[in-house]
Amino acid sequence: MSVELEVHDSQGLATEEMTLNMGPQHPSTHGVLRFIVKADGEVMRRAIPDIGYLHRSIEKIAEKVGWHGFMPYTDRVDYVAAMACNQGWAMAAERLADIEVPRRGEYCRVIAAELSRICSHLLGVGAMGMDLGAITPFTHAIREREMIMDLIEELCGARLTFNYMRIGGVAWDLPHGYVEKVSHYLDHFEPVIEEFNQLLGLNRIYVKRLADVATVDADMAIAWGLVGPNLRGSGVDFDVRRDIPYSVYEDFDFDVPVGSGEMGTTGDCWDRYIVRIREMDESMRILRQALAGIPEGPVIARVPRNFKPPVGDVHVKIEAPRGEQSWYVSSDGSEYPHRVHIRTGSFTAMGIIDRLSRGLMIADLVAVIASMDIVAPEVDR
Amino acid sequence: MSAVTSWLQNVTTSCSTVFEGLSITFSHFFRKPYTVEYPDRMETRVQDTLPFRYRGMLEVDLEICTGCLACERACPIECIVIDTTKDKATRQLIINRFDIDLAKCMYCGLCSEPCPTGSIHHTREFEGSDYSLESMMRRYVKFPVAAYKPKKTAEDDPEIMPVLERGMRYLDEYAQPEAKPASGTTSSSDTADPGSGPGGAA
Repeated sequence: MSVELEVHDSQGLATEEMTLNMGPQHPSTHGVLRFIVKADGEVMRRAIPDIGYLHRSIEKIAEKVGWHGFMPYTDRVDYVAAMACNQGWAMAAERLADIEVPRRGEYCRVIAAELSRICSHLLGVGAMGMDLGAITPFTHAIREREMIMDLIEELCGARLTFNYMRIGGVAWDLPHGYVEKVSHYLDHFEPVIEEFNQLLGLNRIYVKRLADVATVDADMAIAWGLVGPNLRGSGVDFDVRRDIPYSVYEDFDFDVPVGSGEMGTTGDCWDRYIVRIREMDESMRILRQALAGIPEGPVIARVPRNFKPPVGDVHVKIEAPRGEQSWYVSSDGSEYPHRVHIRTGSFTAMGIIDRLSRGLMIADLVAVIASMDIVAPEVDR
Repeated sequence: MSAVTSWLQNVTTSCSTVFEGLSITFSHFFRKPYTVEYPDRMETRVQDTLPFRYRGMLEVDLEICTGCLACERACPIECIVIDTTKDKATRQLIINRFDIDLAKCMYCGLCSEPCPTGSIHHTREFEGSDYSLESMMRRYVKFPVAAYKPKKTAEDDPEIMPVLERGMRYLDEYAQPEAKPASGTTSSSDTADPGSGPGGAA
């Protein structure tokens, strides 16, 4: 990347832009991620993201391993919330082959996905606190996340790379006594969010640090293609789960939290933070309804091992924790997908950082990255 | 004057908000710690506390392997290599080679799903550090052995019976875990569900 030096005079003194390198190994860049920062003193002129360090060509791998075999790879698309990626791939394949998932299977999916969403948001908000210098809340968030991990481990046998869903449903039914266990955990978790707010979210120092920083208004958020909590933080009331319902989300009654500029301007870093916290509450509401209303029946439809969907292409949208994730899958009727494209939320969030960072202090760059909840491997895939 | 008052106000709110947070931190002195001292000071081994479905290192019970190659085909990264030949004289399937490269394995569990007897299965063992990649290669066949042939009647060989029982239990867990309720009471869900075979194999 060419770096051009801008020389200009201010009161007769020749000054020059300073080029700083942030990353690829930086504790607050959430993975291997690099920014080329052009700074005027402590104020940033630009922060150019340099992505591609974690590119694993997952989309190409799909063309080589076949329909069933690609499922474990989707875990690696966004390893913080692998359930959502599992679901995206499974839904795309099902829509291609016109497979109907049994109702119990859909409920299992929702339960798993919402647990995974809480898990992901906990890591997001915890890491945000840590990036800004508050280390204790991170340990609290990780403790809660660990308990959800235990629940998910019981469900599917792994803590991070779940590989729980299959084309046509889910791999395993809920284990014995799982419904009670999850409800018990939710009872425990509800006051923890309050405590977490007291510890971090409503702390005056934290609020002052984030309010009015890197404001994205609604038009700008839409224009830059922000998705998920980042979009809702800017006051746009859009959630794929509610507006383009998939799976069994129509059955559930839940609100979509939207940022309203309580502590500053709508769309600032604090709004994006609090939207995530409130989404955990909504996820709990969905979980309770799903656990109460889970029907009997099989969890997986009959899908041949030698799965060959008919020729065609589909475009599936799901609401992943990091925003709308869309899967474009094209099939040529063979046992391998012809083309897979994944569009993830972190990618667009990464794009807006350069625009947002102009005029901010260097220290605020960390707040912007953290508030966008960027996971580097999801950017590159 | 108002500047001084607002400054003082800022100082007091900052102090109070810090102590509000600290009170939560302080309360943790009186809570049960969540951390454990792994691995030396655990009461039970971690492996024994893991759920049954835990996907640890792969293990093969060669006694009940039918040599059907379903696992080899299912593996997306080809870390399983099986070599079989048909013995023309005895019309038996001979397994010459059954290798699993644990260094390649990503513990996805796709291989143990289609196994008809539960021969290839995940254990709850996860401590797999080793000195060389070569030693991560598990070779299960020392000498060529005949593949297991499922019998029409119940298995009566006392050596194979317990192994097969474990394998079938593993498959049951895949299909419908409610089949083995922990207590005598019937489980809340999924007792009549013959349709959901392991992975919907057809």
